[in-house]
Order: sequence, then C-alpha cells, then structure tokens
Amino acid sequence: MNKLKSILKSLSSLRLTVVLLALSMVLILAGTLAQTEQGVWMVVERYFRSLYVAIPFQLFVPTKIVRIPGVFPFPGGLTLGVLLFVNLLAAHAVRFTLSWKRAGMIATHAGVLLLLVGEFVTGAFAKEGNMTIAEGESANYIEDTRSCELAVIDTSDPGDDLVVVVPARMLGQAGGDVITNGMLPFSVRVVEWMPNSRMLGPMQASKGQLAKATAGVGTQVAAAPVAVATGVDGADIDIPAAYVELKRGDASLGTYLVTPRINVPQTVDVGGKRYEIALRFERGYRPYTVKLIDFKHDRFVGTETARNFSSLVRLTDPSERVDREVLISMNNPLRYAGETFYQASFAPDDSGTVLQVVRNPGWLLPYVSCALVALGLLVHFGSRLISSVRRKVS
Amino acid sequence: MKNLPRWFPAIVLICVVAFVVSIFARGIGAGDLGGGSSGAMPLEGLARIPVSAGGRTKPLDTYARNELLRMSGKQTYEGDGGSRPAIEWLLELWTKPEAAAERRVFRIDHPDVRSLLALTDATRTRFSWTEIAPKLEEIFRQAQLASEISRKKQDPFQKQITDLYGKLSEYVQVQNLREPYTVAPLAAGEEWAPLIGTDPHAKPLDTESALALRGILASYALGDAADCTRRVAEYHAVLDAKLPSAGAASAFEVVMSRCEPFYNASILYLVAFLLGCVAMLVSPMSPDRWKPSLLRSALVLIAVAFAIQTFGLASRIYLQGRPPVTNLYSSAVFIGWACVPLALVGEWFSRIGVLSMAASLIGFATLVVAHNLSASGDTMEMMQAVLDSNFWLATHVVVVTIGYSATFLAGFIAIFYVVGGVFTKLLRGEAMKALPKMVYGVICFAAFASFVGTVLGGIWADQSWGRFWGWDPKENGAALIVVWNLLILHARWGGMIRDRGVAALAIAGNIVTSWSWFGTNMLGVGLHSYGFMDSAVFALVTFCLVQLALVACALVPTARWRSLAATS
Repeated sequence: MNKLKSILKSLSSLRLTVVLLALSMVLILAGTLAQTEQGVWMVVERYFRSLYVAIPFQLFVPTKIVRIPGVFPFPGGLTLGVLLFVNLLAAHAVRFTLSWKRAGMIATHAGVLLLLVGEFVTGAFAKEGNMTIAEGESANYIEDTRSCELAVIDTSDPGDDLVVVVPARMLGQAGGDVITNGMLPFSVRVVEWMPNSRMLGPMQASKGQLAKATAGVGTQVAAAPVAVATGVDGADIDIPAAYVELKRGDASLGTYLVTPRINVPQTVDVGGKRYEIALRFERGYRPYTVKLIDFKHDRFVGTETARNFSSLVRLTDPSERVDREVLISMNNPLRYAGETFYQASFAPDDSGTVLQVVRNPGWLLPYVSCALVALGLLVHFGSRLISSVRRKVS
Repeated sequence: MKNLPRWFPAIVLICVVAFVVSIFARGIGAGDLGGGSSGAMPLEGLARIPVSAGGRTKPLDTYARNELLRMSGKQTYEGDGGSRPAIEWLLELWTKPEAAAERRVFRIDHPDVRSLLALTDATRTRFSWTEIAPKLEEIFRQAQLASEISRKKQDPFQKQITDLYGKLSEYVQVQNLREPYTVAPLAAGEEWAPLIGTDPHAKPLDTESALALRGILASYALGDAADCTRRVAEYHAVLDAKLPSAGAASAFEVVMSRCEPFYNASILYLVAFLLGCVAMLVSPMSPDRWKPSLLRSALVLIAVAFAIQTFGLASRIYLQGRPPVTNLYSSAVFIGWACVPLALVGEWFSRIGVLSMAASLIGFATLVVAHNLSASGDTMEMMQAVLDSNFWLATHVVVVTIGYSATFLAGFIAIFYVVGGVFTKLLRGEAMKALPKMVYGVICFAAFASFVGTVLGGIWADQSWGRFWGWDPKENGAALIVVWNLLILHARWGGMIRDRGVAALAIAGNIVTSWSWFGTNMLGVGLHSYGFMDSAVFALVTFCLVQLALVACALVPTARWRSLAATS
C-alpha cells in the first residue's frame, strides 16, 4: 500500500509537470518546423499522435548555416499526452483536497483533462473527407484526399459495378515490381509513381513525356512530379499520378497515365471484357445522396478576394425518408447522420463545390473544456486578485 | 523654481493638450470643400471623393497614400517646391502624365537591380518612370525568368525585380484610370467601375458619376481652379444625396489619415518613457520631489497617448465595421494598446513607476512594428470569406491578442527588474519585492487570456471546417505561449524557481511570443531555404538574441545584484 502511495506521489510531482510541459514545447516546435518540408498530416501522425519520434537535428538550424546529419529520439505527442493526463490525475488523488478554495483549480484541471481526451478521441476516431460535386450533379460518396487507390471497375453488369482497388501505398512501394492478385483481371507494373504531380497539356508536354504512355489519355497529356505540399503552404493537397503498365501474362495491354485529375473513363479490353481504370481518392460510400443545385461565389468588387461562398444542395436519404434542400455556407455547416458538411472550397471555374465532411464523435469536448477552464481560472485568479485589491485598499 | 516639481505635471499636461489640439486642427484642416484661397485647386474636396479599391470604399486620399507608399515607401513625394501630399501626385498622374513620369516614386534598393537598369546615381534610392522606362523590356524578361521560381525560393534580386515589375504594371493601370474603381454607383443596378474599361472599343461610361469625374479631371488638367472647385462641390452634393454613407466615411477617413493618431501616440509614448528614465536617474538625488513629479508627468503622457491610440482604433472599427484586430498590422497596434491599462493596474498596485515605463516602451515599440508592417498598402483590407465573422474576430482574436499583450508585459517588467537590479542601485527594498509579484500576476492573467483565446480559436475552426485543432504553425505558436505560461506558473508553485527564475523565464517568454506572432508567418518565407537576410527576420533574430542576453543577466547570482547589495 505504501509502495503504491509512493509511486502515486512521484507520478503527481510538479517537477514532472514542468518537465512534461517543457518536452511538449520542444515537440510542438519541432512539429512546426517539420512542416516546412512535410505535409501537415504526415507531421501530425509522426509527431503528435505517435509514441515516439525521431527528430532530425537539421530542423533547428537553417541548411544555409551548417548541415547536420542525424536524428534524436523524442517522446511523441501520445506519450506526452498520456503522461500529462496521469500526472494531473495523480496530483488530484494525492495533493488536492476537495474544498471551495480549490474549486477553481479543480474545474480548470478537469477542463484540461477533457481537452486531452478530446484530442485523443479526435485522433483515434475522427474521419475527414471531401465531397466534390459539379453543379447539377450528385455524389453519394466521400473522398479521402489523403490517400488514393487504383480502381479497376468491371462495368459489364448494367445494375452494379464490380470494383477492385489497389491502395496507392502499394503502388508507391512497388518500384517496378509487378502487382498481381487473383481478383485483378491483369497484373500491374508501376513504371513511375509521383506522390504529387502537375499536369502538362498537349502543348506543354515534350514528345518524350507523351511517349511514356502507350494508351489512354496519357498519349495526349502528361504528368510531371512536383514537391509534396508542406504544412506551411496551407491547405494544399497532394495529387499523385502514376504510369502503370497493365499485363496479361507476358503480353502488355498498354501503359496508362492515371491520376485523380483525369475524370474521363479510361478503358482496357481484356479477354472480351471491358474494364475501366482510374487512380482516384479513396471513396467511402454513403446511404444518402447530395445533389448540388447551385453554387455561389461572390467576390469583392474589382478583386479576386472571396467575399463568401455557398452551396444550395438537395439532401436525399430514401431509407430515412429525407428529401430536402439545404444552404451550406461559410461558418454555416450542415449536420446530418453524425457527419458535418462544411463549405470548404470550389472547383476552379466555380463550376462546382467542395464540401468538407467530418465525423468526429469528440467534437463537443473542447466546448465543455473551454467553459470549464475559463470559469475555473476566473474563479481561481479572480479570488486572488480580489483579496490583493482588498489588502491594497485597506 | 522651488515649486517647479509640484507644477511640472500640470505644465506637461498643458503642453500635451496643446499638442493634441494642434493634431486635430491639422486633421480637420481646410475642412471646407472650396479651394480656400482663390486660385488654388480644391484638394480637400478631391481628397474626399470616394473610390473603390481592393473591394473597399475609401477616399481618393487614402488610395493615393497607399499607392505612393507601396511604390516609394513614403506617403509624400518630392514635387515642385518640396515635399507634396500623395493626392497631388495621383492627380498629376491622371492629368499631366509627362510631368508625373519625372517624379521619383519607384524605390529600388538592390544594387544588382540598379546596375541592371543603369541607374548609376548612388546617392538616391528613388527613381522616376522616365529613368526606368528604357529598360522596361529587360525588367519584363527578368520578371518572367523569376516567375518560374516560387516566391519563397526567389533570391532578393528576383524578389525585387518581381516587385518592381508589379509596381510598374500597376502604375500603368492607375495612369490609364483602370484602377481604382472611381465611378460610383449612383443609380439602381450600377456597380463601382473604372472610368476607363479594359476594352478600348467600348463606349465610354456615361453615368452621372463618370460624367462628373471626367469634368473634374478636365478642369484640373486645364488648371481652372474656379471651375474645378465648382464641379467638385457639385459632385459631393450628388454623392451626399445618393450615396450618403460613403461620403461621410470618406470625409472622416481623410481627417483620420491626416491626424496620424498612431504616429503621434508613438511620439508621446517615447517621451513618457524618456521622462520615466530621467525620473529613475534623478531618484537618488531627489527621491521625494523630482522623482514622483516626473513619474506623474510620464503617466499624464501615457494617458493622453492611450486616448489618441484609442481614438485611432475606434476610427478603424467605425470605418471597417469590424472588431479591432483584423490583420498583423492591427494586432501590433492592439497589443500595445491592451498593455497600457494592464500596466496601469499594476502601477496602482506597486507604485514604483516601472510598470508605466514598461507600458510606454511596449506602446512605442509595437507602434513602430505596426508602422513597418503598413508599407504593403491598405491596412484596412477586406477579410477573406473564411475570416468573415465579427463574432469570432471579436472574441477569439481579441482575447488571444490580449494574451500576447500580457505575456509581453510580463517579459518587459522582468527586463526592468533584471536590468535595474543587476546594473543599478535604483531598485531598493520595496521595488525589489514588488516587481516579481507584478511579473507573476501578469503571467497569471496571460495564462488565462492565452488559454481561453487559443481554445476559442479552436472552436471557431470547428465551426468553420470541423477541425478543432489542426496542428498548423499558427495554432502551434499560440499553444507554445499557453504552455510556456503554464510552465512558469507550475515551476513557481512547485518551488523550483523563485523571483529570479520567474523573471528569467518571463523574459524568455518574449521569444516565445514573438515567435508565435511573427516567426510562424516567416516559416513560409523559408528560414530553411532563403530570405534569411530579410529585414523582418533579421529584426526578429536580433530581438531574440537580446532577450537571451537578458536571460543570462537574470542568471547572475543575487549576491552580485547591485540593487540587492545596496539594500543590504
């Protein structure tokens, strides 16, 4: 029993709190600097939602001044968060007694605990995706813009499509190897993989670039690799591209260019059957359908600065007997079926809308946390301030 | 003479009131619409004509000032007979372009750009259109080359040539009356429009506003002051009847620009700070007479400077219809502004003069920072759609900025404590005890404001795109301030640090805050790729190094502190 108490006591130490806070600062700083080279989601996974992280020394020194190789190990955000959580709980178990004088601090700490729980829930359970809809069209799926898949679609059944997908991760790792699977009608050899790309039109692409593909759209347009988007660039997303050679045994069915930017179907005929192939963002299908009736994008007069945008949509969900029109605009999201639809962006020439769709079971926690902390600190520091003022006046 | 210390604050008050009256008199100035003296052009009335640029309706005067500021770095130019206001330059550009082409309004600093343009006069940094024009093709070619490199990776030469090309194109746009949108919407269905459109074959606009403006410019070009005065007055009468809101706001903005409230407040803060320094210097000789007298005088100056700054902030709120902080520029103004009342509360507690000195120093420094941030043009630009929420601007942005203010204030009080304690004998007894308490109290407030402000920002993000926390650089910067303040508080509660330690960490807090405020914005500019010599980065790095030196001072053992030695 005494042993338990002494463990609890050392877990509750203020010294541990200070050390953990200091380590958190180093981690946050490193995670910020890392975003000059990596995308924000990569950094979040590696730094803030991991048990430990290897931080390159170079992050803290500009390469202009000196080049330093090597990394050092550091506790990740998950480790630090759990330790802070335990430290705070232990402190209340050991030191804090329930009293009105302590009420402010207890409320504050409860709020901080909730904040940590909220971020954990978000990291573990929240799902984010995009719904891109052109005006007049509908969508019943959500795209995850952080991961791609190569879809091979058998359209021979007029009622249902049969889709086999290869995750982009496998394409990226293949490096010239051939991907085969019993469910695929052909094998796939990755000739070139680009994690982020730009398109070259018929006039921009060189002959050599156009010759990379032997079939499909890639004979008219080409893709070239560009650096992956970094966290400091803002909300840019990576749009990958690949040249893939499809093979049946040793016979080549042609080399295709695939990328989410190509939105016309590319077809391959295999053994008398026609398949479509596409590299697209991973899709999650939904029981409901969102149809874009009208997209509005106002600009300030004489500028390109957006004044506001809004999407008038028709939401239909036959199983729930839902069929209604909704106006989604900046700061006015639609909440439906546990998901929230935000006006996020728009198609290049205002021809369509991009909605961000988020499912986060922990979304309410920060609100409660904020209220608790604000109230707690107000009570705690406020009562101290009042008593100092009283002393001063008397 | 004997009673001088007693009367000194009153004398300062009288002087400063006279100063304020003179500022406002200059602002209201030749307030009539006419030309004042006969034969002079009706500049006042011309300055107040509302136009639309960058999506905002503003007086022609503001437009001219911002354009000139962007091109030359100043709001005035060298005209015939000395320094002239921007509005005259703009009108000359529209009515006598050959004369305007001789004005030296393009600022070019980079030596390589100058030698490329064969601008050999090393004694000046501003050049005229005529001097640059022979090399237009070369500038275009260089700008094309540079445009293939992303802005972040461009070297200083490429940046300057790109900027210069942008300025030259804008100059042509303005000269051809395509910018700003001068034609006001006076009838239903009309919108703000340029006087001359991009289509050269289109019929010229014949709306009431367009006809009036053409008449005004024609009479200005002919130098017919009487006719111009009459036309301007008529146009204002039409505007007052058909577009009353724009007219009133325009007139007010012209007055505000001329009062220069932030510039004048910064002068008063500086004088207050210097008075405080003198008070500290004379305190050993005259602790009961001159010291309190000078400190009271400094307080008078701070109060008046604060009032002027408040007027400036209130004017911006009125003109923009927005809460006070909308961009980096206004955050600088607001940080200094919010520090002053905080410091004065502390001054009431401690009564040693140091807090008002800290307030005046921060007030001055932040206004200097703001001034340097204003060079890019209109400081009241329109908000991006995602930021278009007065509720969140008023809550999250204001609270988090107050958090920045308080963290800076704690850091600055700590600087006074450390510098005064280590190097001087001025902080005896009471002061040595009171100052650390003040630092601690302000940090408590800073922890509160920065935490609540940051979490409110998360809630705004959740409302806007469903992500409470995204770990992006700006959010992380705010989090660092919160965690730093919490770290100081917990270390003190745990007895790990005392007065000296709190002071050292509070000074280091200045680095954390300036990183969050500016450093995160500079990341995009590439501390890792280039632009390390960028002046703002240089200023930030210098500031941080100075703070580190001060932290080192705080670590001097207390036995060596001169103030403590003097006390014992």
